[in-house]
Amino acid sequence: MSWVQVVANRSNEDIFDEDADEMYPVQKEWNNTMRKRLKEGYRDGVEAGKELALQEGFNQGYRQGAELMVACGQFRGTLNALLSWCHLNGHDSALRKINNLLEVIGKHEEDLLKCLNSVQLQPNVGDILDSIQDMDLSHIAPAGVDCSEVKAEKYGHVGSSDENCCRNNGEDGSLQFDCNREKLFTDPDKSTLAWVKKQTLWLVEQLGLSLDILHHIQQLEH
Amino acid sequence: MAAPSAGSDMFDEIVMAEDRFHGEGYQEGYAEGSHAGAAEGRRCGALHGAKIGSEIGSYLGFALTWQHLLPKCTDEKDSKKMRALDSLIGMIQKFPYEDPTYEKLQDDLEKIRGKFKQVCSMLNIRSDFRISNERSSLTF
Repeated sequence: MSWVQVVANRSNEDIFDEDADEMYPVQKEWNNTMRKRLKEGYRDGVEAGKELALQEGFNQGYRQGAELMVACGQFRGTLNALLSWCHLNGHDSALRKINNLLEVIGKHEEDLLKCLNSVQLQPNVGDILDSIQDMDLSHIAPAGVDCSEVKAEKYGHVGSSDENCCRNNGEDGSLQFDCNREKLFTDPDKSTLAWVKKQTLWLVEQLGLSLDILHHIQQLEH
Repeated sequence: MAAPSAGSDMFDEIVMAEDRFHGEGYQEGYAEGSHAGAAEGRRCGALHGAKIGSEIGSYLGFALTWQHLLPKCTDEKDSKKMRALDSLIGMIQKFPYEDPTYEKLQDDLEKIRGKFKQVCSMLNIRSDFRISNERSSLTF
């Protein structure tokens, strides 16, 4: 007896009652069929949702990744240019310093890549990346740069005190930065590039290179 | 459930029920799939974008710096180098490297890579920046 017939028989009360026991397996079959349809629907839905969101997510992530890393790349390229110039012009004493800075940038890029790779575990990737970009922008505000340079000169050396100085700038200058604090991102991003920038400026001055180059380095991170 | 009067209504009802269950499952799955897909896509995209952003950034930093490092009062050889650098910078600045939907992304990237190699060879620099006395320069 098919469940079609059972449902049809519902119009006749007597038969419906007499067939109560027979109804059970039919009801079960109905439930199974519907459960199957539900599962099929779910599977189709997952596939369709994933397919559409994958491309959208990729585009979104790509843009953020590209915009985040271009700053590191510019530092690396600038340092490579200085490295090759020093090598060609016999300023061998500067090579070690430049190579050290390149290592710092390389490590920094690796850290950022690691972050980007694990970011999917966090619910609001977009927000975090946006906040990095905000921080990057707030960092290049002229006031902040001047302040860190003045302090660095006062302390007479760079390194840990310099990094603290940068963090202080963030706290003083931007409430937004404070709210969005994400240790993994802020520390390498804010202090590493700022530190490399200062070291590079110092190096360029030592080499007696043109103001144009100083100006170019000042403009990095934009 | 209201008793259907005719067989055709019965079938309609059954088909509708199947559609409804399928639809409910679909919606739930769609939400789940969208979430998973977006996260996976974003991670994959971010890594891909990061690679290209870093590469393009390094070419730009390199070219802009060398533009200032070349001697100002130029002979023919230097002005040739300068023209190549200008051309490389122009290509990079026109390149929408951050736009994954740009259809010539890969083509343009290859052209920029080629130009960069050409510039390096004109400047007498290895494009991987390895220099002969790198080892000794790293010792303290």
